[in-house]
Formats: sequence, C-alpha cells, structure tokens
Amino acid sequence: MLTHPAYARPETLYEALLFLKTHGIDTRPLAGGTDVMVDLRAGKLKSEYLLDISRLKELQGIGLSKDGLSIGAGVTISEIYNSPLVAKNAPSLIKSCAFFGSPQIRNVATIGGNVGNASPSADTVPPLLVHEARAVLASENGERTVALANLFEGPYRSGIRPDELLIRFILEPADGRFTDFQKIGRRKALAISRMSMALLADPKEDGTLGTVRLALGSGTPTPMRMEAVEAFLKGKRADRQTVEAGSRLMAEEMVRITGRRPSTEYKEKAVQGLFLRILAPLVE
Amino acid sequence: MKSNNGMIGKSIPRIGAIERLLGKPLFSADMELDHPLVLKVLPSDRHHARILDIDTAEAARVEGVVEIFTAEDIPRNHLTGIINKDRPLLAKNKVRSKGDAVALVAALNIHAAETAAKKIHVVYEDLPSVHDPEEALKNHASKVHEKGNLLFTRKIKKGNPEKAFEACAVVVEKTYRTSFLEHTYLEPDAGAGYLDPDGNLVIIASTQNPHYDHSELVSLLGVAPEKVRIVQAATGGGFGSKLDLNVQGFIGLALYHLKRPVMCTFTREETYRMTAKRHPLKMVFKTGADENGHLMAMTAKMICDTGAYGSYGLAVASRAPVHATGPYEIDHVDVECRCVYTNNPFAGAMRGFGVPQAAFAHESQMDLLAEALGMDPLEIRRVNALKAGHKTATGQLLNGSVGIDQCLEAVKPHYENALKTWLHGETDFAKQRGVGLGAMWYGIGNTGVQNPSTAHIEMDGEGRITLYTGCADIGQGSTTVLSQIAAAVLGISPDMLCMVVGDTAFTSNAGATSASRQTYISGNAVKNAAEKLADVLLTEGVDLLKRPKTDLMLENGFVVYKKDPDHRMPFSKIAARAAKRGIPLRWQGYFDPETVPLDPETGEGVPYATYAFACHVALVTVDVLTGEVTVHKIIAAHDVGRAIHPASVEGQIRGGAAMGVGFALMEEYDPSTTRSLKDYHIPTAMDMPEIIPIIIESSEPTGPFGAKGVGEPALIPTAPAVINGITNAVSARIYHLPANLERVLEASIQSGKFTMKEVA
Repeated sequence: MLTHPAYARPETLYEALLFLKTHGIDTRPLAGGTDVMVDLRAGKLKSEYLLDISRLKELQGIGLSKDGLSIGAGVTISEIYNSPLVAKNAPSLIKSCAFFGSPQIRNVATIGGNVGNASPSADTVPPLLVHEARAVLASENGERTVALANLFEGPYRSGIRPDELLIRFILEPADGRFTDFQKIGRRKALAISRMSMALLADPKEDGTLGTVRLALGSGTPTPMRMEAVEAFLKGKRADRQTVEAGSRLMAEEMVRITGRRPSTEYKEKAVQGLFLRILAPLVE
Repeated sequence: MKSNNGMIGKSIPRIGAIERLLGKPLFSADMELDHPLVLKVLPSDRHHARILDIDTAEAARVEGVVEIFTAEDIPRNHLTGIINKDRPLLAKNKVRSKGDAVALVAALNIHAAETAAKKIHVVYEDLPSVHDPEEALKNHASKVHEKGNLLFTRKIKKGNPEKAFEACAVVVEKTYRTSFLEHTYLEPDAGAGYLDPDGNLVIIASTQNPHYDHSELVSLLGVAPEKVRIVQAATGGGFGSKLDLNVQGFIGLALYHLKRPVMCTFTREETYRMTAKRHPLKMVFKTGADENGHLMAMTAKMICDTGAYGSYGLAVASRAPVHATGPYEIDHVDVECRCVYTNNPFAGAMRGFGVPQAAFAHESQMDLLAEALGMDPLEIRRVNALKAGHKTATGQLLNGSVGIDQCLEAVKPHYENALKTWLHGETDFAKQRGVGLGAMWYGIGNTGVQNPSTAHIEMDGEGRITLYTGCADIGQGSTTVLSQIAAAVLGISPDMLCMVVGDTAFTSNAGATSASRQTYISGNAVKNAAEKLADVLLTEGVDLLKRPKTDLMLENGFVVYKKDPDHRMPFSKIAARAAKRGIPLRWQGYFDPETVPLDPETGEGVPYATYAFACHVALVTVDVLTGEVTVHKIIAAHDVGRAIHPASVEGQIRGGAAMGVGFALMEEYDPSTTRSLKDYHIPTAMDMPEIIPIIIESSEPTGPFGAKGVGEPALIPTAPAVINGITNAVSARIYHLPANLERVLEASIQSGKFTMKEVA
C-alpha cells in the first residue's frame, strides 16, 4: 500500500530531537531523500512521519581539529567531493564520492543518509572504515560516539536508536599515508557497487607495510574491515607473492564471513582482482 | 537522377526540434482533458493459471471508482496481435504470464484506481508453467495455447551443406545465447481518449503505428471504422514495443462504455511488466570455409522464446534465419528457426527483429574461422562479402545497391591503425586492449510479405501544399525526411509544406514505423504522390507559359521556363485555374517493395527489395581482474543508399551504437527479478565510446533518391564488434550475451589472464 506519512521540518536540532523522543519509532529521517523516496514510491515506507533534517545547520560543515576530520551528517556527497579539506585528509572518501550515483544524486544525497541506510553497498562506508571513523549520535539525552565499525547490525539495519540522529563523523586524517577506493559497477555511472574496497596503508622506508587497513563493501552483510588480511600484510614487504597470497586470503575471509551465495562465484574472484588492483601501487 | 533542388542530402532543421526544446509538444500524458478518468490495469500474478473467478465487488466500493472491466465487457473480438491474433486485451478464462492484463479499473483519480486494483479478488487455479522454449516443445510440456507451443518454423535451404562441410579446410560449431531485453524508451506508454461532438472515439496515443491501432480498436469494439480516430501524440521513442497495442485498447474499451474522457499512463514498472521484450535466442551455428577463407557452407538451428504471445515473433523467427549467413555469399545453407510459446513475458519487435542476435552468432563465427585459418578478420570478411550479381541464401539475385565492400573499405584504415598503434598503447597492469569487427546486412521492410505505404498530397486553391502521411515519427525524424522528399520533387523549400502526420481521420495507412522501412517505403509513396502533383503543375504550365513540358521545371513555388527563369508562373495561379477547370489537385502516392514470399520448405524467395549494409570497429579495454569492459571508440560505416538527412543518419548511428553497447555488455531482463530501471542497466553517457559515423552511399535504384534505411542497422554490428574486441583482448570468447562482469571475468580466468601483469 502507498503510505502518506506526515511531514515535519524542525528548525533546530533540538526540535528534531524532541520530535524523535516522542515519535522516533514511527519516524524516518529525510535528508537527501535518495533512499527514502525510492522506498516511499515502492510502498515500502511504513513510517507515520518523515522528519526533514535537510536544513539543520547542526548537521552541516566540514572541519579539521585535533580530534580529526569532522564531516557533518547532512553534508552532501557533492560537498564532500568539492572539499579541499577532505581531499587532503581523506582522498579515498573523495574517490568514493566521485563515482557515487549520478550528479543529481550526489547533489542531494548526504553522507549521513548513506551510512544510516546501512546498505551493504554504501559507497562512503569503506573509506570511513579505513579512517577509523567515529559516528556522533545525538538524542534529547545528549551525545554518544560509536566507532562506525560497531554501528551496523546487519544489512539495512544500523544501530541508530529511534530517538537518535547521526550528527557527524570524525575521521582519522590520512597524514600522508596511502589511501584509495576502488569500485566495480555494472556500468560507469549510476551503478550500485557490485563490490567496493578502501585501503589505507603506510609503507615504511625498509619496504615493509606499517599500518594496513582494508575495508570491503558489497562482499559481506555490512561493509567491514578485513582484519585477518590486515594482520597478514602488516610488517611484510608488498611483493608480488605476498599480495597474491593476501588476495587469496581476502577471498577466503569474505566467503567465511558471508557464506556461499549464487553471487559468490563471481565475487570470490572479483574480490581478489579488486584487491590486486588496489594494492598494485604499493607492489615493489 | 533528377535535380532535387539541393533538398536531398541536406541536414535541414528537424521539424519540431525547436518546439521540443521549448517543451511544447504534447505527449499523451500531458493531454488536458475535462476531468478525465484514470485507468489502471490489474496484471496477473501467476505464470500460468485458469481464472475461476474475478470478484470486483469490494473494489467497486472504493470511493472514486467508476467502473471495473473484465474480458466480459469487450464488445467484439477480444484477441489482438498484428501478425497472429493470440493476445487478449483482458484475460479470458486463463492467464499465460505475469504480465497478462486481468481487469481494468476506471476511477476519478489514480489513488482510487490503484486501491481498487488491489481489491479485485481473482481466484486462480495454477497450471504447470514452462519457461524454457526447448522444454516447451517436449510432449509432456504444458500447453501455453490450445494449438500447441510451436508457433512457427522458418527454414532456409540451399545446396547441400553436410556434403560441403566435408570439403572444408576448417569448420567451427558453436552455441550462442542472448537474453530478454527491455526497450526502455524514454517515454513510458501512455494514451488519452475522449468522444468528439459526433460521438466518435478519439484516442491520442504514444504509438509506432496509428493505422494498425485503428484496425484493432474497430475489431475489439465492433464499431464502424469511421467511429474511431487514432491520433499519434508526440512519442518519446518506441524501438518496436509501441507497435503492440499497449494502452490504446484499454482507453477504447473505457471510452466505449463510459463515454467520458479517460487517460492511461503506464509507470516504468508497468512498461517493464506488461509490454514486449526482445526475443532471447539460442543459436547453434556451424560454418565451414576453404583454406583461403571462402565460406563454403553453414547450418544453424535457432530457437526463439516468444513468451506468452506471438506479437512480432513470426517476423523475428523469419528475419533471424534469413540473415543468418551475414552479408556473405555462401552456396550451401541449411537454417531453421523455431518460434516457441512459453509462460515468460511476451517478446515482440525490438530494433532489428532477431538480426542483432543472429549477427552476434555469424560475426563470432567469422572471427573463429579467421583464427583457425590464421587470417585477418577484416580479410575474411572482404573475401566473402556479398556483391552485385551474388545470390543470397534464399536464392535472391542481388543487383542493386550492395555496399558491404565499401563499408569494409571505409573502416579499413581505422582498423589497421588501431591494430598497429592503439592496441599496443600503454595500459595499466590490469587492462588488456582489444580491437573487434562486426558486419551486418539488413533487409528493408517486412519479410516476404506485402507492406505498402500510402501518402496524399494536396494543393489548395491558393497554391499551398499539404502532405498527409500515416507514418509515425517517434523521434527518428521521418516527418522531416518525407518533407524533404516531397519538397525536392516539387521544387519548393520543405517549410513551404504543411505536414499532417499520424492521424487516422486525415491520413492514410503508411504501415508501421519498423523494419527500417519508412524512408524507403513511405519515402517512395510520398515521392509518388508528389510526382503526380508535379506532373499536373508542369502540364498546366505548358498551357500558361506556352512552352513544351520538357523545357519546364518547378522552382521555389513557380513553374519555370528553364531557358529563361523570368518566364514563370506561380503555383497559386495554376492552382486557381486548375480548381476552376475541375482538375484534381489531391493525389495519392503508393509504394510496395517487390518481394516474393518465402517457400515454406526451402525459404526460397525474395524477402526484401533491398538491403542495408554496415561494419563497425570497436576498440575496447578489458580489466582482466574484475571483468569490467570499456568501449573507447566505435567506427561505424553504414551503407544507407543515400542519406536524405545526414545529421539524422548520424544520429541513428550514434543511438544505435549506444544501444549496441548495452546489448553487448549490460542489458538483461530477468523475468523473475527485473522490475524497473533500478535493476536494468542501459548505458549512461559515461559508458559511451567516441563514435565515428561514416556514411556510405551505394545508391539504391528503387529507393527515393537512392535511399534505403538505417534505423535498425545502426544497432546491429556494435555488439559483435565489441564481443570480438573482448575476445581479442582476453583470448577467450563469450557465447552468451550480455558480456557482463561475471562472463568477462570468467573468460579472463579461463584464458589465464586473471593475473597482474608484470609491473614495469
């Protein structure tokens, strides 16, 4: 059935949080609407209220402080893509925004919406994960901060409570370390990721890898860090043999976590291919 | 050739282009009628089931519902279909696919219509369903239609291929498969209707064939032909799907009973669920050549899944085998194509009628033969290319325009350059480059059946000329081309013509906008009408100018004495005089290409009066680690006979190549999962290669000013060229379209390419 939810647009974050305190369980926050409107049209949106948070100033802004790189949940994908601050401190996030949907979608879709929707294929999530992003959530009771890696409960299920809103993300800056994002789609634009991957690595003078952080999208029930692969690579030289062994471990880990599905036949190869592609610049 | 006052071969501004840019044309869904009712179709949710009961009582009580129609309400013939009538407007007794229309709601608003549609209770008794055409041909298979599941078989036989294979130096046999495709035209199907003051039913619709729609409405409703008027609205593409009766019948049924304005606008999901798809084909090709690469023999077994209804299935099942040889001369041929009913969504016409599928197979075979013989792929095509004087597999002697050689010649420098330099250019560690060729031929007009076009031209008492044509311009630009043809004959500028197009109250039948036939066939009909009028003008001019007819010509709205252009007479004077003397100034033009029906057993005959030819070169890059393919460039040479409007020809070539890239790499409609654009990928601007169109003009003696057609040919060579390019890149071939991520990566793995190249 088509639902016709009531529409509310609070002027301040506080008003929004008060609304959620009362109606949170019956409310779907609306920012860019690129997921919400699709659900609404498909008749899948059951909420009584749409809470328009797109104009809340408290959700805007990109800034750098001693805590890290802060990106408001209401910042659009286009704004991130055009931010010199993000370009300097999280280039892989920029790259994920470059191939995100289409220009029209990028102009309205927000990073908070992309994370909050908790899709396994959310393009901004793997870069956020390798930057050890923390999500700041607010409710009428106050704020709490959660490591993004712990926010997801399952596909399309985030741990955001009904009375909470995502306020901002705090990322650890790249600080000159190597970072990249790679994606496979069925076409070159407007494509949901068939698979995506983000890497943050710190090759040392002696040729061994220091920090290695690797996150996978569309390969596991929610995007996640591949810790076993990170541990395998850490301290090793990024030679061909190691990287190829790492790629096989990557596939094994993905299958171990996700299980076998019809798509596994492609994905267990593609994940190796994407891994080789993302590691290639580091290979000696 | 007669002088054509420079109107032929000139890219004049497209008629209606400025209006489109300004947003002025009225598409069906834009019609502003007086409080129209909206129509909503309830589709079947069963693959195959008997309908035991349709209970509309609860739905009828929904506020705003005016009427709910079922098959019982169809006044006369409930079956529709342009070739074979097998598709009910509303399901009677049983449903054969999930797209079948079961009931139709008319309501005051869309919300009421949708709510009511969900409250119609249909009691079904499921029947076993069949979804694979080969299964459908087995004895125990569930019968989709009473008459059985085999709709049609086309056979083409020439010589003795089995014996000829024995003498071949090389024979390759492979199986090819293609998928269901959805046309995905810009404008979802829509229509509107009202009663005119005389009580006639006026239906405005997005359509490729208004005069066919008219005949179907008359048949469904059992009313006199003059009681129904179909007006083609501005139409946002069709690609074959708007040849079927998608919304027009529903509008007519509601109008007939309710006598109130109605509108029916499909959502994208409804066009995906309830309109035709491209036929998936399974094709087993066996082709043999001698040591010089001369094709000696070929056989092919093809089976095409037409889903629940025939639609244009017969045309596809006839065209695919006729074109199975490709644009090559082969003495020994045995091809059979079976068209089979299943409980899948019905398949119908889609740009190329089975030839894009066949070309995928024959062009793959050409490259396989070349590889086996160590020949260059272009060379093996040149060796075998059809020429004037050759005979086709149906025994047709080609004596007119045969431009395949010129197409191959035109792409040669691009192809050789790509092989010599581009192929060896630098790529990153995961990429492999490839260059591929694809050639094709395509018969213009319907296959071995009559498909005439008519047109009328009229000069009023003041010398103004109006051209009436039933030819639906669905965006391809036929109205402009037809105006150029008439203007060229009459020596006027096209903007001096008033064009009346696609309105059954005023125009006569021009046949379908399909089979790349309108420029050639309707162009000839228009030319024929214009020549009759021109002849009257010249004859009258003799009297008035006192000069012999051979010394007179038509120029800028005057009959002019060639030797002294100041000695002339305006059309207006001639028209006034002719009117006074009772000389008719309205003339009909007619053209039907000369064909000979194909023999049912051997396929011998003349299926088409003329053929278009083409060759594409594709430059592709394959990511051997992920299966991603990038098409960088398409060089597309097309023999169109004569380009009446070169910019439109180039536009068709570009659009065709775009659709070809989709067919090659990503388009696939899975009946069980594809619902809308979110799960069906057509190429975006980012997926588009650079396209270099090359127009070849091998003049066709029977064509208007030498013209043939290009609408469908534009698409056909692209996919084979891309697939051959992928093969060139990864040294492994893909036999199942689309060459999606999974299939390309698999090919890369099979050929041992799934590895990082040594990093320099």
